[in-house]
Amino acid sequence: MRGWLRPLVLGLIVAVATGWAAIAALPYGLMTIAMDRLGQGGINSMSYGNLATPERQPVVRPSPDLAYSACPYDLSKGPLAIDFAPVPGRYSSLSVFDAATDVIFVRNDVEAGGRPFRIIVARGDQAVPAGAEIIRTDHDRGIALVRLLLKDPSEMGGLDAARRQSSCGTVTKLK
Amino acid sequence: MKSWHRYAMLIVGGIAVGIGAAWTLTNGGLGDGSVRNGPWTTSLGYGTKATDPLTRAMVARSGLLALPAKETVYWLATTDASGAPLDGNCRYSLSGTPLDARWWSITVYDGAGYLVDNPARIWSVNGANVAIDANGMWRVAIAPDKPRDQAWLPGIKGQPFQLTLRMYNPGRAFRADPAKAVLPRLVKEGC
Repeated sequence: MRGWLRPLVLGLIVAVATGWAAIAALPYGLMTIAMDRLGQGGINSMSYGNLATPERQPVVRPSPDLAYSACPYDLSKGPLAIDFAPVPGRYSSLSVFDAATDVIFVRNDVEAGGRPFRIIVARGDQAVPAGAEIIRTDHDRGIALVRLLLKDPSEMGGLDAARRQSSCGTVTKLK
Repeated sequence: MKSWHRYAMLIVGGIAVGIGAAWTLTNGGLGDGSVRNGPWTTSLGYGTKATDPLTRAMVARSGLLALPAKETVYWLATTDASGAPLDGNCRYSLSGTPLDARWWSITVYDGAGYLVDNPARIWSVNGANVAIDANGMWRVAIAPDKPRDQAWLPGIKGQPFQLTLRMYNPGRAFRADPAKAVLPRLVKEGC
């Protein structure tokens, strides 16, 4: 029996360490999967997804009342510019989630005064255009998400052009 | 048994136990949070940097890309008012007054948090499509089959289900004390 004590203690330590590491790694892994599923238009560009249905659920717990547009991003080639255009008279918001799933930016249409705005998402050490609103992040990768609330799914066709006014792309010019 | 056999066995076992424990611990779902109100539960720490690693992993599994509470409060119900698990073969009355938020919606999901098909292709009700009666109340039947003269939110036949209540831009009074806010009632009427 004595021969089991040390292996048992080691096994216990391995269990706790593995459990802790798995919990810490899980958000990153799920974020990578979500980036792949939402990024049908590729990285650093906005995909204007259809409404969630049982046949189309790129992430868990999708709201069937929301039109989601998603920009999975990677800042390794430079900062990301996001242009958000609210749709008058209804809830819409821009939120940015980093690779750890933390929210690093949220602003809705009311907070924006109903006006379009641009933000630049950049790593701490990246050069950014002067005068722009800058959101600094510790992670290269993440997802920017535009939510637009519909009263009814049939509104989607009429609002599609308006939501396509929101976009994202890598910043190539600093001036 | 040789000594290294014992070590190998318990290291492999430890890894398996660790992964299993992580999976179980993060299975709490969106509503396994600190705030309880009737059958509804939520946590107001979603999506913020202050969230601890376990809550973050739980939210990533059950509500990835969830907004912080100032923007949206997500309530989860897996039971009715009496505490019995929600059953897709049963009929429930869901009712309330307009909620203290700019917009709200209630969506039916399966146990894992996904939409399930139904003949009506309806998965949610919201503040814009419920009818308010003379007493200022709205009322919806959650049932496997369409009721004759009531607004219908289809349940999931033959499965347990859960509800997510989303409140977009909740009011200041609500945010001051979410546990005491007036939320929709969810009462089983029969199976």
